[in-house]
Amino acid sequence: MRGHGFLLANYVPGNSLLHRAPLALKFLLVFACGLASFVILDWRVSAAVLAVLCGLFLVTGAGVKRLWGAVRPLAPVLLVIGIFQWWQLGGPTAVRIVLNILVCVVAASLLTATTPVQKLLDGVAAAATPFKRFGADPERFALTIGIMLRSIPFIAGTFADVRDSAKARGLERNPRALVLPVFITSVAYARQTGEALAARGLGEAEE
Amino acid sequence: MPAVIFDQVAVAVETDHSATPKTLLDAVNLQITERRVGVIGANGSGKSTLLRLVNGLIQPTSGTVTVDGDDTVRAVRKVRRNVGFVFTDPLSQLVMPTGREDVELSLRRSHKNGSERRRQAEAVLERLGIRHLADQSIYELSGGERQLMALAAVLAVNPEVLVLDEPSTLLDLRNRELLRRTLADLDQQIIMSTHDLDLALDMDRVLVIEAGRVAFDGAPAEAVAAYRSWCLQGLGAPQRDAP
Repeated sequence: MRGHGFLLANYVPGNSLLHRAPLALKFLLVFACGLASFVILDWRVSAAVLAVLCGLFLVTGAGVKRLWGAVRPLAPVLLVIGIFQWWQLGGPTAVRIVLNILVCVVAASLLTATTPVQKLLDGVAAAATPFKRFGADPERFALTIGIMLRSIPFIAGTFADVRDSAKARGLERNPRALVLPVFITSVAYARQTGEALAARGLGEAEE
Repeated sequence: MPAVIFDQVAVAVETDHSATPKTLLDAVNLQITERRVGVIGANGSGKSTLLRLVNGLIQPTSGTVTVDGDDTVRAVRKVRRNVGFVFTDPLSQLVMPTGREDVELSLRRSHKNGSERRRQAEAVLERLGIRHLADQSIYELSGGERQLMALAAVLAVNPEVLVLDEPSTLLDLRNRELLRRTLADLDQQIIMSTHDLDLALDMDRVLVIEAGRVAFDGAPAEAVAAYRSWCLQGLGAPQRDAP
C-alpha cells in the first residue's frame, strides 16, 4: 500500500514565524485563499499569490521536497482540468483555475506543515464548542478532521496500487478496472475505520 | 482479573445465499478469569466473532456477555473503556498520520489538557520502546512497529482487558517475537486469537473453536495437540512431485 502519497504536508517541527503564529490566523489564511480562488480573475495575480505561499512554505523549513510531495499527486488531475478549461474557456482562464487550486493546496499544506495534528484538532474542537448548545459534540468535529487527514493519503495510495495491478494485467485503459477496486477498497476502509473507532470508544457522544 | 462471562451466547447473521441465518457461534458458555487466554481454530471457525463480542463490537443474537459484571450490550461504553481491542491489521486501526498522534487521539477524552496528553503518550511509547518512532508516518513503520504502535494506542487508556485478534498474523519471525515479549510484560488480562501455536502455548488456558462451538477448553499443550490432530485428520500424507 502506497498510502503515503500524501496530498497535504505532514507536520514538520520548527520555530518559524508560521509555526508560532496563532492557529486562528493560519485557519484564516487558508479560508482567505479558498475565498480568493473565487475572487481572483487574473492569472498573474494567482501566480503571485502562489509564489508568496510557496515562499512562506520554504521559510518554515519544510523544504522543497515536501512542497513537491504535496502538489505532485494532484498533477494528473490538474492537467486534465487545465486541458478541459483551455478547450472550453481559453488559455488565461485555464491557467488561473489551475493556479487557484494550487493556491488552496499550498495554503492547506502550510497549515498542516506548521501545526501539530493534536493542536489542529484542539482548534477545531474549540471552534465547534458554540454548537454544543445545539447538541453537537466538538470532539466529533475534531475526529472528523483527523480521519480526513488520514483518509486522503489512503485513497491516493489505493489508487496507485490499483493502477499498478491494472497495468500488470494490461487493463490500464479500462476505467472500470481502475475505479471499481478503488471504490470497493475505500468502502471497506471506511468500515474498518468505523470498527476501529468503535472498539476504542472514539466518536461516541460525551456522557 | 475481571471475569469475562459468556452465557448461552449465539450469533447468527443473515446471508444473501440462504433463507436461514448463518450461525457464527452457538451456545457458548464460558467463564474467563485467567490472565492469559488463547483462542485457536481454523479460518472461519468463529474466533473473531468470539473476541468481538467481548468488546461489544458484535452483539449476541441470544445470550449475554459480561465483562466484570457489565453487559456488553447495555453498558457498551463502560465495557469499551475497560476492554482494549487490537486488530490483525494495524493499518486499519491507526487512524492518525503518525503514531504519537494516534496515541494522543486515544487520550483526548480522558485528558483535556494537551501537554498532559502529550506526557501520557510519551510514557506509553517509552514503555513499549517505540518512542523513537513516534513522529514517523505510520506508512514508514515496519509491520511489527505498526502493531506495537496500535498496541500503544490501546494501552494508553489503560484497559483492564486486552483483546487481540490474530495480532501476529502479518508479522515476520523477529517482529512476532518482539510482540510476544511485549505481551508477556503487560499487566492486563489478555484474550488473544492466533494461528501461532507457539504463542498459544504461552497462555494459561486455550480455547479451540470449531464451527462456532468451543470444541476444547483446557491446558495449552493439550488444546494445541487436539487442534493439530483435528486439522491433520483426513489430509493424508503430503504429496511430492518426482524429481
